Formats: sequence, C-alpha cells, structure tokens
Amino acid sequence: MSESLPTTQPGPEQTGPAMSFDFKARSTGISGDTVLAFVTRASALSVVLMIAALLIVLTTAAIPAVRTFGLKFLTGTEWRSNTLEQPRRDANNKLMFDADGEQIVDTIEPVFGALPVIWGTACTSVIALAFAIPLSFGTALFLIRVAPAVLVGPVSFMVEFLAAIPSIAYGIWGLFVFGPFMQKYLEPWLNGLFGSVPGLGFMHFNGATTGRDMLCGGLLLGIMIIPIITAISRDVLTGVPRAQVEGTTALGATWWQSSKEMLKFSRSGLFGAVMLGLARAAGETMAITMVIGNNNQISPSPFAPAQSMASLLANEFAEASGDLQRSALIEVALILLLMSLVFNVVARKLVVGKDSRSAAAH
Amino acid sequence: MLKLMKRAGVVMLTSLAVAGTCMAETRLQGAGATFPNPIYQKWVTEYQKANPDVKIDYQSIGSGGGIKGITEHTVDFAGSDAPMNKKEITAAKDAVVHIPTVAGAVVAAYNLPGFTGDLKLTGPLLVDIFSGKITKWNDAKIAEVNAGATLPALDITVATRTDGSGTTFVFSSFLATQSEDFKGSIGASKQVKWPVGQGGKGNEGVTAIVQAVPGAVGYIEVNYALANKIPYALLQNKAGKFIKASPETVSAAGAGAVDHMKESLSVSIWDQAGENAYPISAFTYIIVYKDLAYLKSPEKAKTLIAFLKWATTAEGQSLATSLDYAPLADGVKAKAAEAIDGLTYSGAPLK
Repeated sequence: MSESLPTTQPGPEQTGPAMSFDFKARSTGISGDTVLAFVTRASALSVVLMIAALLIVLTTAAIPAVRTFGLKFLTGTEWRSNTLEQPRRDANNKLMFDADGEQIVDTIEPVFGALPVIWGTACTSVIALAFAIPLSFGTALFLIRVAPAVLVGPVSFMVEFLAAIPSIAYGIWGLFVFGPFMQKYLEPWLNGLFGSVPGLGFMHFNGATTGRDMLCGGLLLGIMIIPIITAISRDVLTGVPRAQVEGTTALGATWWQSSKEMLKFSRSGLFGAVMLGLARAAGETMAITMVIGNNNQISPSPFAPAQSMASLLANEFAEASGDLQRSALIEVALILLLMSLVFNVVARKLVVGKDSRSAAAH
Repeated sequence: MLKLMKRAGVVMLTSLAVAGTCMAETRLQGAGATFPNPIYQKWVTEYQKANPDVKIDYQSIGSGGGIKGITEHTVDFAGSDAPMNKKEITAAKDAVVHIPTVAGAVVAAYNLPGFTGDLKLTGPLLVDIFSGKITKWNDAKIAEVNAGATLPALDITVATRTDGSGTTFVFSSFLATQSEDFKGSIGASKQVKWPVGQGGKGNEGVTAIVQAVPGAVGYIEVNYALANKIPYALLQNKAGKFIKASPETVSAAGAGAVDHMKESLSVSIWDQAGENAYPISAFTYIIVYKDLAYLKSPEKAKTLIAFLKWATTAEGQSLATSLDYAPLADGVKAKAAEAIDGLTYSGAPLK
C-alpha cells in the first residue's frame, strides 16, 4: 500500500482526506488549510454524533421495558422470557375446571429483572480488581524503580502484548486450559476451605466445582485488565516529581518507605487507572461468556455459575423472542453503557484532571 | 495495491452484471432452525446438482429468526423446530402450513467417568434432575431404575441452553407433560429459566460443558451426541420401555402422531404411545404460506413445491437417514404430500 501511495495521478479510488493535498485542490483556489480544517472538524463531529446516535437509539428501544418494569427492573431477581401457565387449584388442592370442562389456568407473563446480572457483573469485577491491582501496581513499580534497564523493554512489551490478545483467545484459553485447571485443583480446595472456616460457610458451594463460575470469570477478567492498569499506573508513577522521591530518600526512608510515599502521592491517578480497568472488566463480553457459567442467579458463592450483563446480551440477544425481551436486553446494554461512561469520566478526571501534581509531568 | 483493488472492483462489477442478465435461474431464500441445517444443506446441494437452473440458499439463523423472516416476508420459506405459536400465527396474518421434513431426538447426554453400560432415566427423573431436586448421581431414585449398576457418588451438574432454541422447546415441552409442577413453575418454551446448572450457547455450548465436567448431564440434539461420541441415557416411554434414541425409534414416535395432526400439520410427537417410540422426539418443519402468491412469481412457487416434494419423498428422505436424522414415517409422508398439493398461487392450485 505504502509504495503506491505517492502517486500523483488522482485516480477515482483516491477520495477523502488524501484529496486535500493534491495539486488539483490547490489550483482551484481552496487552500489545503481550509480543507484540512473542514475534514478534521467533520471527523471530530462524527464521533460525537455516533455516540449521540447510540444513546438515542438505545434509549428509545429501551422505553417499552422501562415503562413495563420501571425501577423494579434494577431490583427484580427473576429473568424469565416465557409465559407460564399455572393450573388453578381450589381450597382442597384440586384442579379447577370451567363450565365447558376446560382446565382453568393462570397465565404469568414474562418478567425481566436485572439484579442477577448486575450482581454477576459486580462480583466478577471485584474479583478481577482484587487480582489485577496488586499485580499491576507491582509491575509498574518494578518497571520504574527496580528493573535493570535491559528488562524494562521486554517486560513492558509483554504487558502491552497482553492487551493485544483478542478477547476470544482469552475465552478459549479460559475454557480449555484455565477453567479445567481451576476445576481440578484450586476450586475443590478453596471450596472445601470456605466450607470449614466459620463465618465463610455461606460462600461454600454445595455442588461440583465446574471451572465455569464467578471466580473463573473474575480471574480471567483480572488477567485481561492487567495491561491497562499497569500502563496507566506506570505513567502516573513516572509523574511523581523526582525531587519528591529523592527528598524521602534524603530523609532516610527505606526503599519500601519511599515507594509507599510514591503510591500515596499519586493515589488519585492510580485510582483512575483502576476505574479504567473496571470499565473494561464490566464491559468484557466474549471471554466471560465462555467461563462464567451463564446462569441468571444470585449466589454468594464464587463457585456458583452466574451471568454478567455483557454475557447475558451475548447469550440471549440473537434469539430473543418478543419485543419486551429485546427491549429489556437493550435496557441492560444501556445501563452498561452509562456505567462505563461514568467510570471513564471519573477516571479521566482523576488521571489527567484535578490532580495537578501528577498531571504536571504529563 | 490500488491498481489491484481497482481491477478487483471491475471483476466484481462484471460478475454482478453477468448474474443480472442470466435470469433463467430461479432463486429461493430460506432461513431458520440450526438443527436441520446439515440435512438442508445436503438437500440443497443434491437438488441443485439435478436442477442446475435452481439456486436455493438456506441460512441457519435459528428457529426464531426464521419465523420472523417469513412473517416479514424477507425469506421465501422458514425452518423451525417449534411450530408457530398462536401469537406468531396471528402476526403472520395469512394461513401458514407446517411441512414436517425430518424428525430428530433430544437426548440427555451425560459424563460419568468410570460408568459403563447404559444409563436409564425416566421422565419424572429428568424433571427432578433439571429442577435441582436430585443432586447426586447415586440418589436412590436413580438407582431404582438402574438396578444392578453402580452409580458414582458424584454431584450432578446440569447443562442447559441459554439462547432461545427449538431444542429447549422440545425438551421442556416433554418435561411439562411429565409434571404439572414443572409446567407451572418452569414452563415449556424456547427459552426457560432453569433453576440450577450451567448454561451454554447452542448445542455445541452444552456439548462442551457435558464433555468438560464430570457428573454433567445436558440436553442436546442426538446428532451432536453421536458426532462427539458422548453417551446418552435410555428413556422410558409411555409403554414403560427404555428406548435409545435412533432414526427408527424417532420415526416410530412420528408414526404414532399421524392421527392427531392438525390442519396446519404442526404436531407434537413427544411422549407418544407405541412400544418402540422414543419419548423426546420432534419434527422439524419448513414453514410456508398456504398461498404462494407472496413469492411474486409462479416460477418460484413451482420450484419451491418441487423442492419440498423431492425432500419429503424417497430420495430426500434416504439422505436424511445417512446423516442420522429420522426419516418421516409413511403416514406422515402422505400427510406432507397432501399439504404440499394443497398449496395454491393466488387462490388457484398450481400444476
């Protein structure tokens, strides 16, 4: 591609931004600057329009579900798309029949409550953060303060490479390697442990450990968000003024004490990094669908199968029956979108905004 | 590179133009159920070989998608495992015909390490297992029907479908015939809320869970169990016999249903009487409107009729057996032929 780009022949396939620099545009009197200004403005505007369109479309499509369930959508624990027909029984528990001898049934309409998937998303995200934060901060500190120069390049590359792996690849690895490993070795032991420790019994899962549950989903998400938290916290920590670090050392702080000061100094930036990681964990779809177990239930046990908001969409949207179910799914998508919007805005504020001390370095 | 792209563009345009001028070809577009997809693709290939001027395209997008397509007239015919329900029939406005093409079985596939021999299950046992009332393989109730066999003290992990599917429809409909309680609390539908277990997307998702988790039991189409060499349970039928799902036992279930086929030909064939009938059997259907004028071409209508006839008679049906589908029993074939002959074009029968 790059070899044929410098061609001076304005062919029909050369459209868009490339046109603004060819001699033809200049000869007609329109300056390149004008064209560039127009093109860049249009590009920026189109991004804004796309987000606005997305919000409008999702909101409109979610209206039927919002109307039907209102705020109960967020607190409802049942997600059932089929209509139930329950035979009516009289006081003596006998089936009831109408005048024509037809059995009387009560129909129970479909109901959609998002609490199970909100619970699934929250739990897996918390597990992911608990796993990823120490590893990410540790790696960031290592890269800045400990690693010999020869290691910094390769280690940073590896961390960034983790971010480049497609999420479906994580999913397959989780399904065939990580899940079975957890199922056979780690989970039975942990499950037994929870059962025997007083006070933690409620987390014990009475049933076979399957390697497809909240714990597996959470840990896999944890691995997936390490790169983003590491990269940002490294930037934030690099921004700590050198004088600050040297000052603590001059006052006799040990290596650990001065590192602790560094972390404390840039805590809001680090928190922002965590928020960005959280946004990614909550929205991750393909990989989590393969390891979370896909059951819309609320269980306190990390070994129980669950469902996250994203995996619910992946599982049900294509074959959704009926407009109400589709609308309810879209409402879940809308909540997810708003959540990541909030996470991102907060994170942005924390990483580059108010915190002028760490921002000074940027 | 750019030159190459330009050339490719020219080639594409030319080929489009060629396709446009060559109108002697009749094209039919179908979409729907994934379960019969292998046999439909085989039929299409074989039929096109014999009739080079016909092009048929079937996309396996799921039963729900197929019904949506035929309702909105975006496809010429729909494939569905579940017959259209009242609401869907009302939405379609004009009269529809369900033409049974082949029958299939849903089996309870299991993963019991160290257990050889055939596991036997009954309808009520399946209800208890899939609603979480029986949680161990060595439960006394399971042992009772498997006299002589030693079942491991493993936890049962139930594997179910998370997406809407004909498979779930057939399986839950059968369970609903076994228990009023199941019918009222979980229900018979393309998608139900299973109280326990692991969810997988598609037959392949459930198959993967069953293969991976010792102690797992899941419901899948028999073809998936055969292709992946997963054992599946013998099921007790109405006559009290334990039957293994096979083309013969499924056909037997279909034969038992001929008498109570409705006018639209949709009929449930689970839990049929008959010594040799496998209890969780079901037809899969091609759904068309009774009046083919919606195809907007008598040529297309004739082609569709010819294809349906070919598929539901000798040649098409023998291909079905080779792919582990159950062929239609003779009585059902006759009903299907009758229905195909009854199709009209703008109110008049087509010759």
